[in-house]
Amino acid sequence: MKLLVISQSRNRAGRTVQVRKEVTADWVRVGRNASSEVLLADPRIALNQGLIVDRNGPVYTEGEMGTMTSTTRKAVRSVRLSPGTSVDIGPYKVTAIATPAGFSGAITVELLRPPENVAPEFLARAGKLTLASLRLPKRTTALALFALVAIVFFLLPAGRILDLPWQQPTSMAMASDRFWNPGPVILAHQPVELKCEACHQVAFQQVRDGACLECHAKIGHHVGEDLKPAALFAGTRCAECHRDHKGVKTTHRDDDRFCADCHRDVRSRANGAQSQNASDFAKDHPAFRLTLPAGKGMRRVRQSGVPIEEASNLVFTHAVHLDPAGVKHPDKGRVKLACDACHHPDASRRGFEPVSMRRDCQACHRLEFEPATSSRQVPHGAPAEAVTVVREFYANLALNGTNDSFEKAFGVPGTGLLRRPGPPTDEARRAALALAEGKADRVARELFGSRIAASGRKSEQVSDELFEVRVCRTCHEITQQDGPDGVQWGVAEVRQNHRWMPQARFDHKSHAQSKCADCHDVAKSKRSADVAMPTIEGCRECHGGSVPAEKKVTSNCLLCHGFHEQKHPWDPQFKPKAATRVAEGAAVAR
Amino acid sequence: MRHQSILEYARFRWFKAALLLSVLAGGVYLWDEPPLKPYGGTWLGYTLGSIGALLILWLLWFGVRKRRYASRAGTVQGWLSAHVYLGTALVVVATLHTGFELGWNLHTLAYVLMVATVASGFYGVYLYATVPGLMTANRGDETLDAMVLKIADLDREIRDKALSLPDQILRVVNASLDNTRLGGSVGRIVSGRDPSCPTGAAVRELPEIGKRLTGEAAKLNHEVYTLLLQKNELLGRARRDLRFKARLDLWLYFHVPLAIALLAALSAHVVSVFLYW
Repeated sequence: MKLLVISQSRNRAGRTVQVRKEVTADWVRVGRNASSEVLLADPRIALNQGLIVDRNGPVYTEGEMGTMTSTTRKAVRSVRLSPGTSVDIGPYKVTAIATPAGFSGAITVELLRPPENVAPEFLARAGKLTLASLRLPKRTTALALFALVAIVFFLLPAGRILDLPWQQPTSMAMASDRFWNPGPVILAHQPVELKCEACHQVAFQQVRDGACLECHAKIGHHVGEDLKPAALFAGTRCAECHRDHKGVKTTHRDDDRFCADCHRDVRSRANGAQSQNASDFAKDHPAFRLTLPAGKGMRRVRQSGVPIEEASNLVFTHAVHLDPAGVKHPDKGRVKLACDACHHPDASRRGFEPVSMRRDCQACHRLEFEPATSSRQVPHGAPAEAVTVVREFYANLALNGTNDSFEKAFGVPGTGLLRRPGPPTDEARRAALALAEGKADRVARELFGSRIAASGRKSEQVSDELFEVRVCRTCHEITQQDGPDGVQWGVAEVRQNHRWMPQARFDHKSHAQSKCADCHDVAKSKRSADVAMPTIEGCRECHGGSVPAEKKVTSNCLLCHGFHEQKHPWDPQFKPKAATRVAEGAAVAR
Repeated sequence: MRHQSILEYARFRWFKAALLLSVLAGGVYLWDEPPLKPYGGTWLGYTLGSIGALLILWLLWFGVRKRRYASRAGTVQGWLSAHVYLGTALVVVATLHTGFELGWNLHTLAYVLMVATVASGFYGVYLYATVPGLMTANRGDETLDAMVLKIADLDREIRDKALSLPDQILRVVNASLDNTRLGGSVGRIVSGRDPSCPTGAAVRELPEIGKRLTGEAAKLNHEVYTLLLQKNELLGRARRDLRFKARLDLWLYFHVPLAIALLAALSAHVVSVFLYW
C-alpha cells in the first residue's frame, strides 16, 4: 500500500502549512511512537494508537494488532477512509481526501487541539502532583532535628563541664548529664554516679589513678617496694583492669589472661620475683608454699615429697585425741572427740580460731594441783605466777588449814598454825613454814618437772590419772634454772601456726560438704611436728583450671589469689584531697 | 540492554565489600578478649567506632555526591549501590561497637537513629525494587501529563455534550467539571484517592438519574456517562500514579532528617565520651 500523508499545521502568521509524505508499507502505523509512519507526537496519543491497512482501500483500525499495549481502552473501531471521511484520533483529525494517481489512498492529519489550548480549569486543579510541589519540609525537618539533638543531648549537658555561659543549677545539670551516662556503675559507686567529675576530673583526659585513690586510699599494690612496682606497672592505670559503667556487679573480669601474661614467665617481667611460674591451676601451677614460724619471723616452704615439720614447741598427738575408743575425761569417763571439740570456726566461718588452752584443752587438762582439798588451778601461761599461787596456797593452808585439809595436803596430822590454841612458838612457826614451802616446792616440781622425777616424791592423794594430765610437761617443753630465789621454771614459747597459706583465699564454709579428714588427714598423726596441710594434688581432685572440664570446678587465679596486696600501699606518696571527698557528710562528722 | 539493579551493580562488588567488612568485624569481635566485656572503649571498640563514624560521614556524603552531576568520582549508580550495602554493613559495625550495651542515653540514641536511618533506607530499596514496575503497569504508555491532558480534553467534550441535558444531570456533570481535583494535598497524594471526588459521585449517580430520560436525551446522557467513566478511570490511574510517586518520595522525608539528626547525635556521642574519658 502506498499512502500519501499530508500533515497540516499553522505557522505563526496563521497560514496553513502542509508537509507531504509518501508512505509505502503493508500496514501504516499511527501513533506517538517515533517509528510510526503517521507520527502523532502528542502525549494524548498512545505509542501505537492504530493502523491503516489496505482492504480494497485504506481502512483505519484501532484495538487490533499493534495496539495491544494501548491503555486507551476504547472500543475497537474500524473506519474505511473513503474520500471525505474523517476520524478523530485524540486531538487530531484525520481526513481522507481524493486519492491521487499512483496511491492507494491519501489523508490529511491536523492537530485540532494543541496541548496548550486545552481548557485550563482542570489543569489549574491538578497543579500540585508531587510531595515536593507541596513544599513538604524535608530540609527544615532535618535541621530542626539536628538542632534538637545538639541542644538537648550536647549543649545543655556540656554547659556544666565546659563552663559554658548557660551553666544550669546542679539539679538540672545532673538531669541532662544522665544522657551521657553510658551504663550503670557498680553498687559501691552509685553514690557518685551522677557526680561525673568525682572520677572524670579533667575534661578530655582519661581517669587518673589519683581519682580512685581519693576513696581507695588504702588499696595495696601487687608487689612490694623491693620489686619497684611503680616501674613494673608503669603506664598501667587502675582503669586498665577496672572498667566501670559496665553493670552493677563488677568492674573487672576474673580472667587468667591478665595474670598469666606476667606469671607465665614471671622473672622475665620482674627479676626479683620469688614465685614460680604459673598460668593455669590445672596445667601449670607450682606446689603450694606453706608459711611457718622460723626464728623471729616466718618462712615459706614449698611442699614437695619431703615432709614439712612444724616446730610449735607443743607436745601433741592427734592420734591419741582422735582415738576411736575415746579419751579419758576427768568427770565424764571416756569421751570420743571430733575435730570440732577443739577447732572452732571464726566469726566469718571462712577459717578457724586458734586453739586455746582455756577453751579447748582445759576441760580435760585441768591445772588443779591439790584436788583433794581444792578445785583451785594454777594460772595458764605464766609459770612464775603459777609458782606463786602454789606457794601462797600452801602457806595459807599451813596457817589456816582445818584438820582435814591440813592432813590431806601435808600428809601429816595437824591443823593450821593460827588455829592452834595459844601463841605460836618460833619452832612451830618455822616448822609450818618449812612444811608449806617444802610442799609447794614439791608440787611445783610435779607441775613442771618430768613425770619420772616427780613420781619419786609424789603427793599421796594425787591420783596417777590427774597427775598425768595436769603437768605442764604433758604439752610443753619445760626448762629449769636454779637461781638465788629458788628454781625458775620456764615454758618454751608456743608457736602454734595459724595461717598456713596467708596468700591464698580459702573459704572453709564453701567446703563444708567435705569432711575435715578429706583434706587434713591427722587420725594417725603421732607428733605435733606433723603438718596436715593439703597439697595441690588434693585440690586438683575437684578443682580444674580456667578451662571448664568435666566433673571439675572451673578455677581461675582469682578464685584463690588477689591482685592487691594490702601490705604494700599503691602509692605511698598519695595524699587525698579532703575537699573532694565524696562522703562529705561523713567527713564533716569525722 | 538488560536493566541492572543497583543491588547487582558491578557484579555485586559492594555486596562483597560489605560482607567482607561485616565478617571481618564479627571475626575480630569474637577473637578479641576485652578487659571486662566488649564495649566501645576497648581498642576494638575504638576501631569499630572510627570505622562506623567514617562510614556515616561517607554515607551522608551521598546526598552531596548525587547532586554533583559533573562529578567524575564513580557513577551515581555505583555510589548508590555502595551506599546501600555499606549502610547495611554499618549496622553490623555499629552494633559490635556498642558491645550490645544499650540504655536510655545519648549513645543509644545515636545507635537507634542510625538503625532507624538504615531501616528507612531498606524500605526505600524495597520501594524502588517494587514500585516502578507497578507504576509502569499503571501508566501503560501514557505519562502523567498525558493523562491530565486527556482529562482536560474529556472535560471539554463533556461540557459540549452536557449542555442540553436536564438541569439535574447538568448539575452533577458540572460538579465533576468544576471541582474535580488531582493531588494538591499530602493526604490525597499519599492515599491515591479522593473520596469526595465529584467525578466519582457523578459516575455513581448518573445512571439512576438518567433512567427517566428517553429518546435523544437518553442517548446524549449515555454518551456523557461514557465520557465520565473514561474520565473517572483516568483519574483513578492518575491518582495511583501520584501515590506511587509519593511512595518513592516519602521515605526520604524520614531517611534524610533521621540521617541529619544522627549526625548531631554522633558528634555529641563522640565528643561526650572523650570529654568524660
